[in-house]
Amino acid sequence: MSTETIYCLLPEMMLIIAATLIYIGGVFVPGRQVWSGIAIGAVLVSGWTLYGQYTRMFWPDQHPVADAVAAAEHGSAGEVSPEYPPEPILSVAVPGPLKVDLFSQYVRWLVLVVGLIFVLMATQLAPDVQVPEYLGTLLLAITGLMIVASAQELVLLFIGLELISIPTYILLYLGRRTIESQEATAKYFFLSILSSAVMLYGFSFLYGAAGSTELLKIQDAVGGIDESSGFLWFARLSLVLIFAGLGFKVTAVPFHFYAPDVYQGTTAGNAALLSVLPKLGGLVALVRIVSFAMPGMETYAWHLALVLALVTMTLGNVVALWQDNIRRLLAYSSIAHGGYMLIGLAVAFAGASGADSASGFDGVAGMLFYIAAYALATTGTFAAVIYLGRDDRPIESVDDLAGIGRNHPWTALSLAVFMFSLTGIPPLAGFWGKLNLFAGALSIHLPGEEGDLGRYWFILLAVVGVLNAAISAGYYLRIVGVMYFRSSQRDLQADGGTGAGLAMVLCAVLVVFVGLQPNPLQVGANAAAQSARLPGGGATLDIASEQPSDVSAVAMSVAGE
Amino acid sequence: MFENINHLMVLIPALPLASAIFTAIFGRSLLKERAHLPTILALVASFVLSLFLLFDIRGRVHELHESSEGAATHSVGVEVWHTLWTWAAIGHEYHHPDTVVDGHAAPADVAGHNFDFIVDVTLRADPLTAIMLCMVTFVSSLVSIYGVGYMHGDRGYWRFYSYVSLFVFSMTMLVSVSNFALLYVFWEAVGVCSYLLIGFWYEKPSAAAAGKKAFLVNRIGDFGFAIGLFLLWVTYGTLNFHDTPAADGVAAVAGILGQTRLADPSLYVGGAVGLAICLCLLTGACGKSAQFPLHVWLPDAMEGPTPVSALIHAATMVTAGVYMVTRCTPLFVASPESQEVVAAIGGFTALLAGLIAVTQTDLKRVLAYSTVSQLGYMFLGLGVGSLAGISAGMFHLFTHAYFKALLFLAAGSVMHAMGGVIDMRRFSGLRFIMPTTCWTFWFGSLALSGVFPFAGFWSKDAIIGAVGDRAAAGSTLYTVLFWASLFTAFLTAFYTFRALFLTFYGREKIPPEAGHHAHESPSVMTFPLMILAVCALGIGAVYEWNHTFAHFLGNTPSLAYATIQATAVHAGEHSHLGLALFSTFVALSGVGLAAYFYLGDHRHIEQLTRIMRSPFGLRLYQLSSGKFYIDPIYNLLIVWPLQLLAAVSYWVDRWIVDGLVNLCGRVPVAFGAVLRSLQSGLVQFYALVMVLGMLVLIGTLFLWPAG
Repeated sequence: MSTETIYCLLPEMMLIIAATLIYIGGVFVPGRQVWSGIAIGAVLVSGWTLYGQYTRMFWPDQHPVADAVAAAEHGSAGEVSPEYPPEPILSVAVPGPLKVDLFSQYVRWLVLVVGLIFVLMATQLAPDVQVPEYLGTLLLAITGLMIVASAQELVLLFIGLELISIPTYILLYLGRRTIESQEATAKYFFLSILSSAVMLYGFSFLYGAAGSTELLKIQDAVGGIDESSGFLWFARLSLVLIFAGLGFKVTAVPFHFYAPDVYQGTTAGNAALLSVLPKLGGLVALVRIVSFAMPGMETYAWHLALVLALVTMTLGNVVALWQDNIRRLLAYSSIAHGGYMLIGLAVAFAGASGADSASGFDGVAGMLFYIAAYALATTGTFAAVIYLGRDDRPIESVDDLAGIGRNHPWTALSLAVFMFSLTGIPPLAGFWGKLNLFAGALSIHLPGEEGDLGRYWFILLAVVGVLNAAISAGYYLRIVGVMYFRSSQRDLQADGGTGAGLAMVLCAVLVVFVGLQPNPLQVGANAAAQSARLPGGGATLDIASEQPSDVSAVAMSVAGE
Repeated sequence: MFENINHLMVLIPALPLASAIFTAIFGRSLLKERAHLPTILALVASFVLSLFLLFDIRGRVHELHESSEGAATHSVGVEVWHTLWTWAAIGHEYHHPDTVVDGHAAPADVAGHNFDFIVDVTLRADPLTAIMLCMVTFVSSLVSIYGVGYMHGDRGYWRFYSYVSLFVFSMTMLVSVSNFALLYVFWEAVGVCSYLLIGFWYEKPSAAAAGKKAFLVNRIGDFGFAIGLFLLWVTYGTLNFHDTPAADGVAAVAGILGQTRLADPSLYVGGAVGLAICLCLLTGACGKSAQFPLHVWLPDAMEGPTPVSALIHAATMVTAGVYMVTRCTPLFVASPESQEVVAAIGGFTALLAGLIAVTQTDLKRVLAYSTVSQLGYMFLGLGVGSLAGISAGMFHLFTHAYFKALLFLAAGSVMHAMGGVIDMRRFSGLRFIMPTTCWTFWFGSLALSGVFPFAGFWSKDAIIGAVGDRAAAGSTLYTVLFWASLFTAFLTAFYTFRALFLTFYGREKIPPEAGHHAHESPSVMTFPLMILAVCALGIGAVYEWNHTFAHFLGNTPSLAYATIQATAVHAGEHSHLGLALFSTFVALSGVGLAAYFYLGDHRHIEQLTRIMRSPFGLRLYQLSSGKFYIDPIYNLLIVWPLQLLAAVSYWVDRWIVDGLVNLCGRVPVAFGAVLRSLQSGLVQFYALVMVLGMLVLIGTLFLWPAG
């Protein structure tokens, strides 16, 4: 741990400081606007520091520190190359348990955008909700996910994941004081604890097999395990357990059961939170651990991910067809989308196992793009639901939306945009996401004798994915139809708060923008995916120990900023 | 102010477009009762600009003739074109090997190679366009003024003016564009406007049906037109009228009607391909200009407001086909058989529509069939293929626009006064109630019948004369057509004056719908009538004087090239004095017969009725009043089989295809029903399933091969 590491954690620290401030101040000042403003400000400041980090550390031609770091990465410290690359550095070495690369940057940016939307949605909570507590806890959950994105060490990773989970329990509890809500909270609590235990069990096996908690060392150790030794089997067991534990967060079948009940029981804002934060955390952790730290396991891992993807998306979509409660419907929708994201994971694992993707589609990049599109559309939908409802009369069933195409045209238009994007209709963000994933699955070429069989599996995966997209249109378009072609049954006031309205509009604009101009996000996702495969910080640790003077100089000048 | 002709060419269509958009946006909320103002302003301004354009072109014609005596080479005709922007440019890398040979284009291979598909938005000005622009904007200005009175108080007042402006925009663009693809675009655009205006009173089922019929019949013609365009494209490798200049001033691509081809007419493709192109284009023209067998929509189109009938279905839009055939004269000349087809269709349509018109009892329908008949005359003139014939056809288009608009507006005036009744059996003797309408109708009738010195005399006589010349050259077809056209002239005079006498003479009879205060129309309606009446009287003689019209029109590139100019009959060489006298006699005898039967105390109608009661006469009468049963025949041969096919297809789709689709849809739902039953709500169960799932995953590890 050094000052440099601390610099890298600055955005997270901003959030934690703000959360602490809100907790303490909230005791004395029970205002609502104040704390919402501070929370929004905290997210923005965090984004600002993250931006500073990005420009300083990843663009070598803008800062000497980054030059030195880049040089250190290339193993030629002290001799700075005069020609700077026109592209950002993919991965920057820092000592300690962090992996500072574009992958973590991408995820952190995404988390901050989504976090801002969550804070906006929470600006007008029910009067009986303890607003400061809610906002502070929300910031902590966001921080947890950002830590997951940067962790390259099992303990930190676990802490990050728990920092998502534990605040989520509190948020669920704070959301609404009804029997249903309490039941949902209890369910989520028990099942989440169970999954964490399973995951931790997996981590311990992994540690036992590899002898280290650092992912890079685990990579070396697992890659070097003798095939005949029993350790290999332990490593595999740990893989399964980690998959099972994180599968809960990704809502993979059969670990998905909590989602519909919990979403239905809690508020729309909490449901939005649940549909994005744990899912993103689980996927990021899976990419970090399985595709990076467990060489030799990928073949098994992609089979696992592929089967889970098939089952998960199919179950989510077909059961969603039956739902009338809007949050329950979106719960199944989120299960289905978890399945789609597992497609990307399967492609990524297959890629890591030695398959070459003929057309350059990358599984991790596809997944990263998809999760951004999904997160925007889903949180936007929940924001619209909050905006249309009222604390004492929230939108419950799909039929409540009847006729809003006439009464609230802009909200209806935004909702329609989200529904079309989630279905995957061009030219919206969701279309490009699905295109990436399915094209990635179709372009996989596996080596060896079993390659053809594997290829058929991936073609099957893509075909089932497309069929599922068609099935999902059944319930998404039903919502659009209800909004526009049915007359309203109850008078909706649309007084769920300006913040929610703003969040909705922001999401809609982003979904349309990404749909029309997918290139920037695509480039970012590609670079992030590329950087996730690099050894990154671990490699430079050794260099750092050999050449302490340079790195400490780096650290000093960073700290001096 | 308008020293640059390019500005004129852009402004003439732009003003009506602006007015259409403005009226559409603000008509309902802001303009309301004043919705006519933007349209009238824009149209009158467009007319003034069109006059400027006309004079500019005339100046260029004079320049050409003064300079051509000394110059070794001069351009074929007068044309100005101005490319605004390139609409579509596809396949820049391909060049057809034959189209560019040192600036000298060769006919492209019929099989077709890789051409550049470039559609330029190019506006052109030449004598033909200038004449059409003046005519369209003048008539439409008057009609829009007339509409202030006629449409007063209508619920869709602003809608009417928005549509009219849009129509004028489309029509001015149609005659201005210099590209077949754009011609097609605006061809469709005027069709859409016509559809909107026929169905203007869409609550009326007959109006909605008429709009649909017009649109569908036009689509049949457009289908042919589109095929014609495809053929033109593969044959000539461009759709531009004009030559596209390359950077060094050499023609890069020889336009279909451009200087390169006109200077060397052997570059036009004849034979089967040429014939096919011409027949396809003719199909399109027949649809728009209501020629047999696609004439059935025009009489039904009278369901629209009468100003619309006057503007679109008599004076302007229906002449688009005539315009197009004239524009494509070089193509038709290259394929002589196609010209005979044009002439035959024109002559036959003229006769057929004339025969139908004599028994119609609906005043507007008489005029509608007369329009079809007169359009037939125009096609007949174009089909002669000589400069005299073509310019006579265009001249008839020009004069007909004025007197037919006049007749329709006068009929509208009658209809307005009679409370919407237009059946001639239900009113008569209106000459004292509506004196202005009566005398303007007289002028229109005399012009339509072709009585000296009214406008129709000059143009119709020119057509018959041109056909006569061709007949005298020994062609059986044209001899038949010559006599048919003379007989049609007789019919024309008869049915026109039958309508006049039935409406304005005899015992005064007013239908109850008119109320007690049947009176002359307001001056805002009679004023355009009077102007048009003056035109109907004078416009023929003025322009026929020293062959001004034909001479001016002959400078259009499509008509100015050597092949056509060779057919020109020099002034004075042939004068059709004898023929003129004969045709006047024919017209007057038609008038006389009508007067004999219908003027006075109707005692002669008894005789007529007696003749018609005889079995043979009855059958003839029914044939005519039943419009030769063309609609029922179409119903039986085309509509009914299509409906049967549609019903069968619907059944298959409904019960077989949909059934399969629904089955596919039910599978996921059923699947979902099974899966959702697992959602018990018990947290213990959920935990159990999670653990079981984990155990299953661990179990797969044992099954997984080592390594």
